[in-house]
Amino acid sequence: MNTQTIATPQQAPASDRLTAATLLRKFAASPEAGVVTACVLVFIAIGLAAPTYTKVGNLQVMGRDLAQIGILAIGEALVILTGGIDLSVGALAGLAGILAAWFNVREGLPAPVAIVITLVICGAVGLWHGLIVTRLRVPPFVITLVTFTVSEGLALAITTGTPINSISPLFSRVSSFRIGDVPLPALIFVATAIVAWFILERTYVGRQIYAVGGNAEAARLAGIPVARRTIFAYVASGVLAAVVGVLVIGRMNVADPSVGGSGWELTAIAAAVVGGAALTGGEGRILGIAAGAILLELISNGLLALRVSPYDQQIVQGAVLGIAILADRLRARRFGSRQVA
Amino acid sequence: MTVPVEAHSRAVSARLWGVHKSYGQVRVLDIPHLEIRAGEVTGVVGENGAGKSTLIGTLSGSVLPEGGEIEIGGVPLTLGSTESAAHHGVGLVSQEFPLVGQLSVAENMLLGRRPRASRRRVLVDRRAQRAEAAAMLEEVGLSPIEIPVTRQVRSLPVPTRQMLEIAKAWGREPTLLILDEPTSSLGPVEAQMVLGLARELADRGGAVLFIGHRLDEVRAVSDRIIVLRNGSLVADLQPEEATEARLIREMVGSELARAKPKEKLVGARPLFRAESLTAEGLGPVDIDLHAGEVLGVAGLMGSGRSRLIHTVAGAQPATGGRMSLAGVPYSPHGPADGTAAGIVLIPEDRKQQSLVLFAPIRSNVTVSILRRLSVRGVLTPKRERAAAKRITANVNVRMQSIDQPIGSLSGGNQQRAIFGRAFASEPKLLLLDEPTRGVDVGAKAEIYELIDRAAKDGMGVLVASSELEELLWICHRIAVMNHGRIVDIVEREDATKERIMKAAAGTESRLPGTSATRRTSRMES
Repeated sequence: MNTQTIATPQQAPASDRLTAATLLRKFAASPEAGVVTACVLVFIAIGLAAPTYTKVGNLQVMGRDLAQIGILAIGEALVILTGGIDLSVGALAGLAGILAAWFNVREGLPAPVAIVITLVICGAVGLWHGLIVTRLRVPPFVITLVTFTVSEGLALAITTGTPINSISPLFSRVSSFRIGDVPLPALIFVATAIVAWFILERTYVGRQIYAVGGNAEAARLAGIPVARRTIFAYVASGVLAAVVGVLVIGRMNVADPSVGGSGWELTAIAAAVVGGAALTGGEGRILGIAAGAILLELISNGLLALRVSPYDQQIVQGAVLGIAILADRLRARRFGSRQVA
Repeated sequence: MTVPVEAHSRAVSARLWGVHKSYGQVRVLDIPHLEIRAGEVTGVVGENGAGKSTLIGTLSGSVLPEGGEIEIGGVPLTLGSTESAAHHGVGLVSQEFPLVGQLSVAENMLLGRRPRASRRRVLVDRRAQRAEAAAMLEEVGLSPIEIPVTRQVRSLPVPTRQMLEIAKAWGREPTLLILDEPTSSLGPVEAQMVLGLARELADRGGAVLFIGHRLDEVRAVSDRIIVLRNGSLVADLQPEEATEARLIREMVGSELARAKPKEKLVGARPLFRAESLTAEGLGPVDIDLHAGEVLGVAGLMGSGRSRLIHTVAGAQPATGGRMSLAGVPYSPHGPADGTAAGIVLIPEDRKQQSLVLFAPIRSNVTVSILRRLSVRGVLTPKRERAAAKRITANVNVRMQSIDQPIGSLSGGNQQRAIFGRAFASEPKLLLLDEPTRGVDVGAKAEIYELIDRAAKDGMGVLVASSELEELLWICHRIAVMNHGRIVDIVEREDATKERIMKAAAGTESRLPGTSATRRTSRMES
């Protein structure tokens, strides 16, 4: 937004002179430059080192993985933008898979109905988070941690620890469906990202979410419905967690409570932060957050392709993240976009 | 209780009946009846804790009174709702600059509403947003060229943000515009702009509530001045009756004792010296400060006042020149080097830069001497409490207990606590940036006393302030800055407002390279 020219007649339209150099500079000055560049570099580097990495089959695998962390990251990012945090997304995604399977198999509901009910339940959980955070002023960390614990427990209690088998084939058809060579889950991720981008950048609701996270007092005094915008973010986060849960059981063709999502919330938070979202709220754009999720996926899949010992993978992942963040700080300093007078 | 006596033909913009509010046992606001009329600037003065903030809060919806009614333009407000207040035309410019730093100027200007020219209800119309924001800036005399509406607000300096805040409220065409100490962060020129703006809105038929702590400003701009004391309306004055002495008497309940003339500094030893000191937007500057001396730094907004203070403190890197403290070379790489050398900065923004508001007074005042209080690195609560009591008593902080959050104190008391903390670390040089910003008259006098005391104890004091009266009152000498340089240095006895203003506002620097080293002062009639 700060790269565009403004509508004042006195200003010469700088956009007339868009040479390659100015475009490059604009890109470098944008907060997303670091993470996008990192994606490209990591992809090329691993692709050269491990030829199987760039094969269609592996790209499809990555596409499906990406749907999981990417969609969670977008929901998480919405909450982070309001200045909150949602620790429940991973466990909630796990529970959502169990719920969808349970409604489908044990209650005998058709798969689409089971999915819709699951989405509604998770949306309601998000609403609950939002209400508790805005009405009772409970720190989001605390209330979503409660949900995290309860969700994991519920998933085990519902299934008594055993996987729910013979779920409707519709689940796996959704997860394995391809348009051309592109898996449907990857497209759902792209669609989610586009919708989220559109809401955040092009609608008043989205801009007001930034205002709420940036300075809640300013937003309140300006007459922005702070509570409603905050609740919106938590509901979206809950619903997106449910989407991920449904995609996951489709992929496995079984609802296994031991698979359910623990640790995913941290990956989602990491993706958002690597992509430029500030945990203090009000800062971060969808392009960066999507790129952050892509980067994490490129790295974790790349380590498999490079046959890095599973014992060392986490160290490498952490190191790569550290370098990415460091490079971004150096870039920000160079272009001074974050300095405060 | 004074009620306006003369019959007014003007329309009433805001009317309050029986509005009252208590916190615990303390009744902080009790207004049986108050009318604010269109076409007038109504000045509001009162000490901190007199109920000014609560009055503003009830009008703007951020405070829910326990009883009473408020009408804006004849329509009753839903009390305690900022949405309702904003909807009925209450515009508030607060001291806190409620802007969203991460968003652009344009988005901040139109925060919470849509551009008038836009037909879109859900989608953002950025073109219309920018155009309207630029128009709003021009409306208040700001240039959209100098302040591009696409700039991120947090990259702008504090005074510019204050101007934006006013432009924002003004652009909503409020029925009642509340200006809460709008000039406290501004230099004289910008302050004049704001006063002019308040006048203009009133002349166009708007109602302006002007809350001020600088009495001369309030008197200059107001058609009527109301005085609050202990939550009650104690006076409702016409401008001709509202002399400074009368206002102060009404505010504090008694006449303020006049300060004695300052004693001359004799035989003071040099303490701090800066030679051709430069930093971003500063210098070269020469300063020579003696122990026991209070040296003021005057200048317009952006003249380098704060930069000078920050560079000496080590909070802004120096790019050239030399400094020495008590004969020892001093080249700080950060504020930690400054405090280690015995230089303590009391920054401009209490809430952001000095205090942990929700933490108890105790930990706020001892934070700078924790190492000294600890026994082999371990802090005992007993020693900390004793030190906190000593520190707060030393500077006369009025409080119930050292365990109450420091944010619950009035601004003046908070500032005294900060002074206490600074004294506790026994500095050689005390740096003050706007020491009385947002502090009421009574508390101001006490802070001046503290500054006096610091000097008498042998500290050197370098104080930057946008209030000339203040500098004239407390300083031995005043250095006047203009475009990052010291353009004049005035001895106390030669100092007049006119001379300082002339030097501060001069476009060409009158004495290029003038240094603040002690010398026979240049007389000028």
